Amino acid sequence: MVSVLGGRIYTRRWRDMAATVVESGALGDSELDRSGAEEPRGEGEEDGAQHTSPAGGHSRLAKLPLSRIKALMKADPDLSLASQESVFIIAKATELFVEMIAKDALVYAQQGKRKTLQRKDLDNAIEAIDEFAFLEGTLD
Amino acid sequence: MAERPEDLNLPNAVITRIIKEALPDGVNVSKEARRAISQAASVFVLYATSCANSFAMKAKRKTLNAGDVMSAMEEMEFERFLPPLRDALEAYKKGQKGKKEASEQKKKDKEKKNGTEEHDKSREEEEEEEEHMEEEDGENEGEEEDVEN
Repeated sequence: MVSVLGGRIYTRRWRDMAATVVESGALGDSELDRSGAEEPRGEGEEDGAQHTSPAGGHSRLAKLPLSRIKALMKADPDLSLASQESVFIIAKATELFVEMIAKDALVYAQQGKRKTLQRKDLDNAIEAIDEFAFLEGTLD
Repeated sequence: MAERPEDLNLPNAVITRIIKEALPDGVNVSKEARRAISQAASVFVLYATSCANSFAMKAKRKTLNAGDVMSAMEEMEFERFLPPLRDALEAYKKGQKGKKEASEQKKKDKEKKNGTEEHDKSREEEEEEEEHMEEEDGENEGEEEDVEN
């Protein structure tokens, strides 16, 4: 379960979770994104970043819904509790990650003289860029 | 605690928006690329959580905090994220403080209305204690969710 890779120790568990998440994602891939439209009520108190925040007037600092981020985090059996701040920071980091990978993949599309980003551009970026090594073998 | 499978993925609309805002005008993104990015984002969350959690466990804490996530970013070689994350955290903390003060003000106003003058003194003392605790344990107050598996 534990492997040493380049001097760092990884537990492989998150990879197994990743596999589950990615597989299940195949089901929910329709454009009917219901959770994008409605906010889950019960999570109101911790979703400081929601535009429908009950406190009202609280500016939206994260684009990704904290409730969904937390749901993902909970997939980790080792995780007991997470502060609201940590959920927010992970949400923010994920947004930065999306920006980064999109931009890096674009380079490959441009090399191919294309204006449309395609799956293979993602694959190329993942293969070429060290920071994305963790993604290898995890996507559909 | 069963989560519907589709809930473990991030909303397509938001992911799409983030991608579009990151790329120059005129660039399109295929559905497959979008899907792959969305999946990658989910994996990122899992990996970051796992990494951050190991820092918390090392420090013998049961609650993951923002510092753990920052350490995780370094570990994952995403140091470039640290400055914007620190800024965002500051803004978030300010926002949370404002929210708390607003709801406390509401509480006080409510009590005034109810005219519980004689009870006010002891009540206020209690409230102050609570306030104090809340400020200290800002992170822990009612915001943790028991992750039972």
